[in-house]
Amino acid sequence: MKRLVIGLGNPYRRDDAAGLEVARRVRTVESHQRMTSSYELIDLWEGADDVIIVDATRSGAPAGTVRHFHPLKEPLPNRAFSSTHAIGIAETIEMARQLERLPPQIVVYGIETGDITAGTTMSPVVEEAVMRVAKEIDDA
Amino acid sequence: MSAEREIAVDYLARVEGEGAMYLKLRDDEVIDLKFKIFEPPRFFEAFLRGRRFSEAPDITARICGICPVAYQMSSCNAMEHAAGVQVAGQLAALRRLIYCGEWIESHALHVYFLHAPDFLGYNSAIDMAKDFPEQVQMGLRLKKVGNQIMILLGGREIHPINVRVGGFYRVPTKRELETLVPDLEWALDAAIATSKWVAGFPFPEFERDYEFVALQHPEEYAIHQGRIISNRGLDIAVDEWPQHFEETQVEWSNALHARLKQRGSYHVGPMARYSLNSDKLTPAAKKAAEDTGLGPICTNPFRSIVVRAVEIAFACEEALRLIDAYERPAEPFVPVEPHGRVGYGASEAPRGILYHRYEIDEEGLIADAHIVPPTSQNQLSIEDDLKAYVPGHAHLSDEQLQWQLEQAIRNYDPCISCATHFLDLTVERDAPGS
Repeated sequence: MKRLVIGLGNPYRRDDAAGLEVARRVRTVESHQRMTSSYELIDLWEGADDVIIVDATRSGAPAGTVRHFHPLKEPLPNRAFSSTHAIGIAETIEMARQLERLPPQIVVYGIETGDITAGTTMSPVVEEAVMRVAKEIDDA
Repeated sequence: MSAEREIAVDYLARVEGEGAMYLKLRDDEVIDLKFKIFEPPRFFEAFLRGRRFSEAPDITARICGICPVAYQMSSCNAMEHAAGVQVAGQLAALRRLIYCGEWIESHALHVYFLHAPDFLGYNSAIDMAKDFPEQVQMGLRLKKVGNQIMILLGGREIHPINVRVGGFYRVPTKRELETLVPDLEWALDAAIATSKWVAGFPFPEFERDYEFVALQHPEEYAIHQGRIISNRGLDIAVDEWPQHFEETQVEWSNALHARLKQRGSYHVGPMARYSLNSDKLTPAAKKAAEDTGLGPICTNPFRSIVVRAVEIAFACEEALRLIDAYERPAEPFVPVEPHGRVGYGASEAPRGILYHRYEIDEEGLIADAHIVPPTSQNQLSIEDDLKAYVPGHAHLSDEQLQWQLEQAIRNYDPCISCATHFLDLTVERDAPGS
């Protein structure tokens, strides 16, 4: 069974890098880091059986909160996963659903951000959440 | 009885960047119309000052995630012009090849995901994908083929890292390039099929008498080099730009409005290129254009989607030709020393002419930079289109009129991120009898 981790985020916007950091730290699973989530992801997960997407969220929850979303059951809450610029992961997943190209299993981890100002260091609580999620993926 | 009304779109979807539109009408008379760009200024020209000339391609590429190659090529052209160096032969061919990749990727994105939903009555490409899954799959795959060229030649698809002043850091082997051939052959057929598909869309009856401005080259459909010409007699070298064009600031846009001195608005992009250079298209692209009934000149901006499809076919065919004729050059770049000089460069970004000018000091640092992207140049033409379109269509409901006006704006595939960066539409009409 092919598992795949895709981390999304902007490495220059502090906590927004959470998804990228998870992808960088996982040891036992093939992983990819992407600054934007565009429709190209649909090709990237082609052939994978179990896809894990990790992205930063901005929903108003406390920073470092980790949530699991199951797109096969329902669409992602678009607002929490919005992108300032490009096509967001919620839209990419809906496009894949229309084209019947969602993987057999897919889970989206949302890591709530605190500080997304310009910079390359994450808040300690988000850093902790990143380590927790990476471990959870490696241990699964 | 006169009816005044207002239509406002505060955020225009399916364009690159942040902008808005505002229209105020009395009956069928346009009282006020503005294409607004409120994306904050990005100050690229200012922070280029003091950087080494060799950094310009990588810094300016960051202006746009859709057309980074255009920025790299125009800035390289300017530095080489300053140094009096001509990059020719296979290095020029590779530049053209990576540029073909960007045209394929950018045009496929616009045709399938941003513009086609307008013609077919969908709010988004996702909604359209329910009913047109095969076409959307084709669009995705076309985009991917464009990206593959960018990855192979540029190191990655967005903001390539292998382009430098004078050429490339590394040039590919013939065998590497040949791996692209099967996908490009598929893409050429797909682009021709695309042109047939979009040519069947319903087009509003609307023609405009544009001054088309594009690069022209005697031997090829101009992309990376050429003289700047128009259908009204303009025929200048790139370094004569400042004598013929000017930019003005208006309070409703963070992007400067470019105009031809004494003449005003002009039109750059696929329609201008096609109308000025359609005789230079490659054979299959030329045939695709004929089969769609485009004719040698296109003046209905809504048909720009057909022209883009034809240009995708051209870019695929041209890429195949370039790969076939490729011989790996001995050196990946030629030395360029533009110290103490001024250089001008232009190339055909997917959305039209992209002009750069740099002053380089004796130490090789950029003393002054001036960049004019295609969307800045098309702002006036966009407003003129809308002003001309509204009077014949004022009988439409606010909702229908707004739809068509947004569609008319998207005819230009505006890249507001480039022009500074987006779009919100307001149509205002007074209630009947007021």
